[in-house]
Amino acid sequence: MISMTLLGLLGLLALFVLLALRMPVALSMLSVGFVGSIIANANKFIAVGMEADQAWARGWKIAYSNLAGETFEAASNFNLLVIPMFVLMGNLAGVSGMSNDLFTAAYRWMGHLRGGLASATIAACAGFAALSGSSLASAVTMGRVALPQMKRYKYADSLATGSVAAGGTLGFLIPPSGGMIIYAVLTEQSIGRLFMAGIFPGIILTLLFIGAIYLVVARRPEAGPRGDRSGRADRLASLARAVPILGVVLVTIGGMYTGFFTPVEASSVGAFLTFVVAAMRGSLSLDAARTVILETMNATATVFLIIIGAFVFIPFMSLTELPAQLVTILTSLPIGDIGVLLVVILAYMFLGMFLESMAMLVLTIPVVIPIAIGLDWDLIWFGIIVVIVLEMGMISPPVGINVFVVKSIAPDVPMGQIFRGIWPFWFAMAAMIGLLILFPQIALFLPQTIVGG
Amino acid sequence: MTEQRETLGLIAPVDRALKWLSLILGGATLVFMTGFSVWNVLIMRKALNSPIVGAEDLLILSLVVIVALSIPLGARTGAHIEIEVFESRMSAGFAKWSMILVKLLGTSLLSVMAWRLWHAGQGAERFGETTQQLLISFERFYYLLSFSIGLYAAVLLLDIWQLLRSDKVATLKIGGDPL
Repeated sequence: MISMTLLGLLGLLALFVLLALRMPVALSMLSVGFVGSIIANANKFIAVGMEADQAWARGWKIAYSNLAGETFEAASNFNLLVIPMFVLMGNLAGVSGMSNDLFTAAYRWMGHLRGGLASATIAACAGFAALSGSSLASAVTMGRVALPQMKRYKYADSLATGSVAAGGTLGFLIPPSGGMIIYAVLTEQSIGRLFMAGIFPGIILTLLFIGAIYLVVARRPEAGPRGDRSGRADRLASLARAVPILGVVLVTIGGMYTGFFTPVEASSVGAFLTFVVAAMRGSLSLDAARTVILETMNATATVFLIIIGAFVFIPFMSLTELPAQLVTILTSLPIGDIGVLLVVILAYMFLGMFLESMAMLVLTIPVVIPIAIGLDWDLIWFGIIVVIVLEMGMISPPVGINVFVVKSIAPDVPMGQIFRGIWPFWFAMAAMIGLLILFPQIALFLPQTIVGG
Repeated sequence: MTEQRETLGLIAPVDRALKWLSLILGGATLVFMTGFSVWNVLIMRKALNSPIVGAEDLLILSLVVIVALSIPLGARTGAHIEIEVFESRMSAGFAKWSMILVKLLGTSLLSVMAWRLWHAGQGAERFGETTQQLLISFERFYYLLSFSIGLYAAVLLLDIWQLLRSDKVATLKIGGDPL
């Protein structure tokens, strides 16, 4: 008989080997979760005195039942309806040209300032993030609009590409956020509360990014020259063109916060309204509609298979009691709650250098959440911290996914230069985490005030 | 080169079928989910205070359909996330054969999964697995998911065949940009 702790460690080892061999994350979790459940359950039955062959038969039966049951559970989870709907909304926003209007509005108001184009990019990314839950979508869409403009005004490549890569990560924090939805489902937290908790950190992080740009251009004015100053009429006109976007965001997200819509309802209403705006602008050609459908299904496949994998893997991890033991070890260290939190954050930062953010989220939750519960942390507040650390991973070398996306839009800019450009934003994110640790109310104020509890 | 063309020639019909299936059935399901949900929320519930009975049931079943349709498409487009950090450190031979091994493992697991989902579907009626309001049996939806996972397994077998013939897997491009 094998000890449960050893089984948990072997499970994790097997998981890492499969991941290193490039087995898809979802299939790796499914494999380890399935085989691990057989062994763990058989072990438990043997431990209570059952005959070995009978115990193994039971172990197989439970694992089989979990495999089918958890798969269907994930695919028919009503709360997860928000995923295809919000993805559809983001994709419709992407093809509708709304990103152009957002950028133009931000540019007209801020473009004349030093570093104003980069700041406008960040502001437009934040606006687009309120329509799309994907950081990649935000980076691609805004990058294509903003990078040519910044090139025209001779912005330093590092600042231009860095601001697009970092601005894109706001899509992961500002609701509706794909990362938050997955975190909420796996930790059984309310999606609506998490979305509310993301609002103020999203706004503050946007301001911190703009502050980072200000610091860069204060030190090197040539990195972000001033653009043309727009007249009052132009400014107001650009704002008017951005009104439909603001309308969609206000109705969808506002409706959710006021309790008028549940998150599921808000997601469908948001997708519908974005569809109406895109249709009215005449941007929904057959080709565009085809892209929207296929891209929505593609993203749905990514997210759901990974959730199915997590649904099978997490019960196995719980069976091994490894997370519980980790909690005991960490809480016995003389470093206090903040020390443990910093260890967790540093571990995330390290993993973020190598792992894709969604993969990292589902892989770490079974281990990290018991620690958070053990230390009595608010899981909504902790979720926001996790989401921001995952954002840092998206721009951290050597595999920051957003950096690669920006590189695909700006192939002439060397990778090293893009990575150099992201550091001010990386430190802005670190500062945001510091603020959240010092003032948890930044995240908790809205959910506690609006929903209570 | 000829081998690669032959491989692509054989995979093209599979890709076309997946693409059209996703476009027609997936598109229709997405339109239904959006339209029906908005109709139920804005018109029936908020305006007329008369929500459609079983609306949640139909949306749940639509979700199962969209997930089932998405998974095989995602398998061909490379949507299922892999960690590629170590790939650059592998020799070409190791990369190829380890990938074949991993895909074989994946095929076995997915076959078991498809089988168990089919089995669960057969028992759905007996165990009273239905939607809550309209009492629609989950049986057919288990079969649909089983078929979807089976297709994913078949796609992995196709990948292995591609790897053996041309050392690389050509994924399906779905047009547009990564969103």
